[in-house]
Amino acid sequence: MHYLFRRFQRLFIVMIVVTFVTFLLVNILPGDVAYEMAGMDSSEAEVEAIREEMGLNRPVLIRYAEWVGGIFTGDWGRSFINKEDVWHAIMQRFPVSFELMILAQAIALAMAIPAGMLSAYRPNGRGDRIIGAIAFASVSMPSFMTAILLIYFFSLHLGWLPATGYEPLSEGLWANLKPMILPALSLALVEWTILMRTLRVEMISVLQENYIALARAKGMSNRRILWVHALRPSSFSMITLLGLQVARLLGGTIIIEQIFGIPGVGRLLIHAVYTRDFIVIQGCVTFFALAFVTANFLVDIAYAWLDPRVRTRGAHG
Amino acid sequence: MGETILEVTNQRTAFATGRGLLQAVDGVSFTLERGKILGVVGESGSGKSVLSRSIMRLLPGTAVTGPGSRVVLNGQDLMQMSEGELRRLRGPQMAIVFQDPMTALNPVLTIGKQISEVLTFHLKMGKRDARRKAVELLRAVGLPQPDVRVDQYPHQLSGGMRQRVAIAIAIACEPDLLIADEPTTALDVTVQAEILDLLQRMVRERNMAMVLITHDMGVVAGRCDEVAVMYAGRIVEKAPVTELFRNTAMPYTAALFASIPRVTDPPHRKLDAIEGRPPDLINPPPGCPFAPRCRFAEEACRRTVPELEGTATHQWACIKPLNREVAA
Amino acid sequence: MADISHSNAASAGAANAGTEVQDKHAAAIALHKRRTRFGLLFWIPLGWLIIVAVAAIGAPFWGLPAPDEIDWAYLQSPPSEAHWLGTDVLGRDLLSRIIWGARVSLTVGFAAPAIGVGAGLILGMAAGYYRGWVDEVVGIAIDSWLAIPGLVVLLLFAVIFGGSLFMVCFSLGLLFIPTAARITRAATLNYAGREFVLAARALGASDFRILSKEVFPNIIWPLIAFILIDIPIAIVIEGSLSFLGLSVKAPTPSWGGIIAEGREHLSTAPWISLYPTLVMFVTVLSFNLVGDAIRRRLADVREGAI
Ligand SMILES: Nc1ncnc2c1ncn2[C@@H]1O[C@H](COP(=O)(O)OP(=O)(O)O)[C@@H](O)[C@H]1O
Ligand SMILES: [Mg+2]
Repeated sequence: MHYLFRRFQRLFIVMIVVTFVTFLLVNILPGDVAYEMAGMDSSEAEVEAIREEMGLNRPVLIRYAEWVGGIFTGDWGRSFINKEDVWHAIMQRFPVSFELMILAQAIALAMAIPAGMLSAYRPNGRGDRIIGAIAFASVSMPSFMTAILLIYFFSLHLGWLPATGYEPLSEGLWANLKPMILPALSLALVEWTILMRTLRVEMISVLQENYIALARAKGMSNRRILWVHALRPSSFSMITLLGLQVARLLGGTIIIEQIFGIPGVGRLLIHAVYTRDFIVIQGCVTFFALAFVTANFLVDIAYAWLDPRVRTRGAHG
Repeated sequence: MGETILEVTNQRTAFATGRGLLQAVDGVSFTLERGKILGVVGESGSGKSVLSRSIMRLLPGTAVTGPGSRVVLNGQDLMQMSEGELRRLRGPQMAIVFQDPMTALNPVLTIGKQISEVLTFHLKMGKRDARRKAVELLRAVGLPQPDVRVDQYPHQLSGGMRQRVAIAIAIACEPDLLIADEPTTALDVTVQAEILDLLQRMVRERNMAMVLITHDMGVVAGRCDEVAVMYAGRIVEKAPVTELFRNTAMPYTAALFASIPRVTDPPHRKLDAIEGRPPDLINPPPGCPFAPRCRFAEEACRRTVPELEGTATHQWACIKPLNREVAA
Repeated sequence: MADISHSNAASAGAANAGTEVQDKHAAAIALHKRRTRFGLLFWIPLGWLIIVAVAAIGAPFWGLPAPDEIDWAYLQSPPSEAHWLGTDVLGRDLLSRIIWGARVSLTVGFAAPAIGVGAGLILGMAAGYYRGWVDEVVGIAIDSWLAIPGLVVLLLFAVIFGGSLFMVCFSLGLLFIPTAARITRAATLNYAGREFVLAARALGASDFRILSKEVFPNIIWPLIAFILIDIPIAIVIEGSLSFLGLSVKAPTPSWGGIIAEGREHLSTAPWISLYPTLVMFVTVLSFNLVGDAIRRRLADVREGAI
């Protein structure tokens, strides 16, 4: 209980720091927002007028406080460029990014779990070495390169899947999934290796445990031993990583959304960066940090499911 | 003569290690009949656990089984069997109880699940029946509140209770052979006797055969029919329990007797461990492996490895057995 | 008769078991050797890296067309005598652009981890040595840092500070601080309580002296191993950044930038994207392989020393 409280405290401070630093960077460093808005050849007076209108002349701390207050009430400001409500813009695009991330993680897990098991089952055996080599090649291949190759083969060469585009779920499940496959695969082909390696290491040590020896002595099949007896106790680090990877993956979605023309938060951010739409940038960064913090909480909950020791301790207070 | 359950002939098990070949079990032979309990006693490192895993055919990949080793269970030669065939024997025909109940149960599965999976897997029982049987088994091994415990996780149970669960798992499919590898070593002294009594009762009630492994001569005293003493991977003396106590032949066995903890000892008194250390199993010394530590050792002891000899009921591997000057 | 055949079988079995044992033994030794000796999987990638490095350093001297020189006769042309790897849509020589791009990738690849590890070293040592509030502040800073996706940080920096090579190295370097600081902090904690450090402290050695003379030499190896991992990572991130057009400014060629330019022409001129992709992949893979071999060797040397 104490531990959870401390964690919460820490995460809260982290949020404050992240938002504050972002705010500072965006607001007081070169490239004054007002200049950006006024345009290239505007007079000093025009710029000043914009400053005044937007309240940019008031102290930074006060403006920060206002902005943070806004975050809690759902008022994240409005885009300088197209006056779109930032919160609304993010919320509209988030489900798309979320779907992409979930799909990517699912594919990564679907690859990592069997591969990690096979590797751990006979460390340094043939299977382990082949999987290790594939993993090695995979990490040397950043997602944007994988994306290029996948587009080249599956879209242009074979014509199986679209190279760009997005269809909402209302168009049907398959129509929605089809353009998502290559993007998700591009992300997963990088992500799976680290999950696999983590699982492998932990499972190698779990397979040395006495309770695995007992499962063998009970005459259980190898498959059952791996999936039922060894997988759950072996996945603690992997689950932790899954949470930590969310931050990385969010970064990954930015570039992948850009390549495949998927209207997610990453694309919103990139567009804001290209157009120097600072308030949107600020909002997106805050949103990413929030997502990261939330993911970490979910990891703690997943722990409780994985490990009955944590669960029952929680139940007893 | 009763029905023979287990017949081990010249079992040799070695491990490939970085330094060379480690001969952990070196030519062990014995037979075990239904309803009987064989005690296997020896210091730590004498090869007892490796022997038990050799019988179950549960050795790690680095293990090498010597040629001519034979393990016959219920008339089936285990050496000739595939892994799949062996799997069908583990549980229904042979089972094992490990030393440390704290680590022998899976922390993420309920104890009910850990018992019932044996039943559903081997006996193809339905889930509901298996659960009911699991509760029954827990009651049989004397676990209080079995219908509550069945849904609990191992960490919610004490060491003694966990060992009862491990026994319940072992006897679930009514095996003919039960191997108990130091089942009480990790437990409190107060529950040791209870667990041993339970094992003994299970063997008698269900008419199984048991190999009871221990490093404590005191454990085998009232419970075993026959006792095999192990040293450096070999059986160095074997006899019915009373005969062994009365006419100890090996100096090593005598030393083990001397190290039994006594009720009169103050608690936590350090036992009279046998002086010296067991031999290096990778480069064993020539001659009797116990000779370097033996008070009675002579020149001849250091030259040749003594073979197991003696009478039909009592054998020893010593060229200068105790109390037997005349016989020799 | 039966007896003889039995003993024959036994001795045959013995011979078999003997070879089986020898096989297992030999395999164990071979495995150990494979793990520690530098093999082909070290030398070949190293060779490639040397080729890339020499090509990049000597880029102006190879007699190649300048990376921004437009050859009107060869717009978007496939590999040919005149242009070995073909040209891009503007008729610029791809080989030349890839070689010049390597300069950016290699500079960032070495500079960014060096900057990050340097800063992380200072922060981590301070946190691990002084503990207390210093530790707390560094911890919060690191957590905050990790809460934002690295690429987002870079985007932010790119838009605020613009894309000079120096800024790219610097902001990318920042990404390596958290892990470097954590490693250093853990190692410092570990050493700061040891006798030789306590003794030095008791003798009145200054904090700086203790940290540089007693603690630093002990944590340098894990950090070197860490830098080895970071080089390919830095190259990959720079690639992503330049793919988004947020690294060095055009017309300076960079691998990610060339790949991005080719993205639009993947169906008509696939070589524009595919060659730099291949070169970048092989280079990153080579760094990974070489780094891995060196790390194993380091671990081995240190184990041997203990
Ligand atoms: N997997 C293994 N690899 C190498 N040596 C082993 C292995 N398992 C056991 N040994 C060695 O075999 C010998 C006998 O061990 P064991 O049977 O566990 O003794 P104990 O009588 O205490 O149960 C010991 O010297 C031990 O070090
Ligand atoms: Mg043992």
